[in-house]
Amino acid sequence: MTPPEDDDQPVMLFRDVAKVYPLPAGDVRALDGISFQVDRGEFISVMGPSGSGKSTLLNLMGCLDTPTEGDIYISGTRIGDMSDADLTTLRRDRIGFIFQYFNLFPLLNIIENVTFPLMLKTGKGVDPERGREVLRAVQLDDSLFTHTPTELSGGQQQRVAVARALINNPDILLCDEPTGNLDSKTGAGIMDLMTELNRKGTTIIMVTHDPHIAEYSRRTIRIADGRIVS
Amino acid sequence: MIFWEIAKRNIRLHFLRSTLAMLGIVIGVVAIASMGILGNSLVATVSDSLSSVGDSVIVFPYAGGGGGFGGGGGSSENLKITDQQFQQIKRAVAPSVAIPVLSTSERMKVGVGGDDIVASVYGVDPKYLPDLNFELDAGSLNNANSGCLVGSEFAKDNNIKVGSRISMGTDGSKGTLRVTGIIKERGMSFDISTDNAVIATQDWYENTYKTENYDEVVVKVKSGQDTADVKVVIEKQLNKRDKVVSVMDSKATLASIYETFGAVTTFVTAIGGISMVVAGVSIFNIMMMSVNERVKEIGIMRSIGTQKKEVMSMFVYEAAIIGVIGSAVGGILSLVAGYAISALMLQSTKYLFTFATAFSVFEGVGFGIVVCLACGLYPAWQAANLNPIDALRHE
Repeated sequence: MTPPEDDDQPVMLFRDVAKVYPLPAGDVRALDGISFQVDRGEFISVMGPSGSGKSTLLNLMGCLDTPTEGDIYISGTRIGDMSDADLTTLRRDRIGFIFQYFNLFPLLNIIENVTFPLMLKTGKGVDPERGREVLRAVQLDDSLFTHTPTELSGGQQQRVAVARALINNPDILLCDEPTGNLDSKTGAGIMDLMTELNRKGTTIIMVTHDPHIAEYSRRTIRIADGRIVS
Repeated sequence: MIFWEIAKRNIRLHFLRSTLAMLGIVIGVVAIASMGILGNSLVATVSDSLSSVGDSVIVFPYAGGGGGFGGGGGSSENLKITDQQFQQIKRAVAPSVAIPVLSTSERMKVGVGGDDIVASVYGVDPKYLPDLNFELDAGSLNNANSGCLVGSEFAKDNNIKVGSRISMGTDGSKGTLRVTGIIKERGMSFDISTDNAVIATQDWYENTYKTENYDEVVVKVKSGQDTADVKVVIEKQLNKRDKVVSVMDSKATLASIYETFGAVTTFVTAIGGISMVVAGVSIFNIMMMSVNERVKEIGIMRSIGTQKKEVMSMFVYEAAIIGVIGSAVGGILSLVAGYAISALMLQSTKYLFTFATAFSVFEGVGFGIVVCLACGLYPAWQAANLNPIDALRHE
């Protein structure tokens, strides 16, 4: 079970985190000495060139991986010693994921896609009321709710992905290049939505290599060669 | 639950592939269940034709190589049971009834101008006829000295009715017998095979063939006594010094026959099982394909909070749906196949709707479902244990 939320704690805390990948040719330190804190309501972008350790950092922030060294706390909960089942529950309840390629389930319609994490949490079937409520919050047209993802445009699919990420009221919204697969106009629409969500109190961490998109955030963490440079 | 729904939709999405997998299971279930039905029908058919003699112990003269089957016996007087031996048997088995039986093969002719035919002729004292439990199609058991009973098949083949006359021996050299009754079909039996035989009186037989010794003694074991015990008693009494008689316990022989048929049924069912194994391999292959096609989807599920066991359940549901539908269709078709095979091979379908048939069908269906689940388990486990990071990167 996920520990109770503590408003005084930072939403995310990295303390001297390192990630080492053991390879036959020798260990690779993908991240080294990473320390930062994310407070509730922040909008942070993480920037860095290819191979800088962005993806590794994203995996650690998303509790998909655990650090080799150092500690990571999500809302006060240390993730280093957690079992796979507990990490999975933490991801379900505390973290909302938004991917570059939307990653909706093609076998499910929009309402089912959006309420999927809620179904995981409650163990019950589709809650169409809650699904509609979140979809309206991301400004998706009601007529699309029963369509399948392939019948929607990229921008519409990303709005559905945002709604899915929000359905369990997570502490953090983790976005991996959320506009990377959209044209600039649609991308701007998604970023406006993000800004609006952040204004209403949602904590957002966004990994991007696009400086224009990074401008929507209020703080930027830059990494290079596995270290935070600014 | 949503994973059940996803499993259903994935099967629908890959309808042809899923149908082919189901077809494999259908074939496997049909093979197992129909072979089981055939085997059970075979046992039931034999059982039906032998069950009426399950209370008999048959005593033959010892011929050096074991007892005969169905009242054989040589022509030599040395290979006969003497009246003294019969009396010993009679005393030993009391209160069960010992019935002396004489038998031979004889040429005979029915009516005027009929063809010569050869059939078995038995000599039985009329007072023992009620103990032999013959059921009659027509006439009565009370045959006088020149009367006889005939088997139903013999009567049918030779157009014999009650009152018909049979000339015994070449050109009637052994006199004429009048048919007083027709014995209902008894099938194969250990004591007296009546279906293709003439049952004359003991007196007529002894006078005609000038013999006083018997070819076999049939002991009808009374309830309360065990055929195996009766066999032991007879052997103890008569084979004290030398082995002079062979004793056959019909119940033990029946059990041995059932055991043999049971083994045959198991063998043919196992051959049917091979097709189920092939079907299982096909299910395994299809499930592995399903997992490999959905690696990214599994990665997304795991990253947004789906537990390993939930991912596993999704694939197990898929295997279960294929297994249940395939096995159910196979179960229904196996009844049709069982009917066809029984009709063709046994010329009878009367044993189709029995408990044993139902068991064979359930056995096939159950095996089909178990094979599907077993073959779906490893792919499901593999899907559940994919690394979410690697799965998310998968293209």
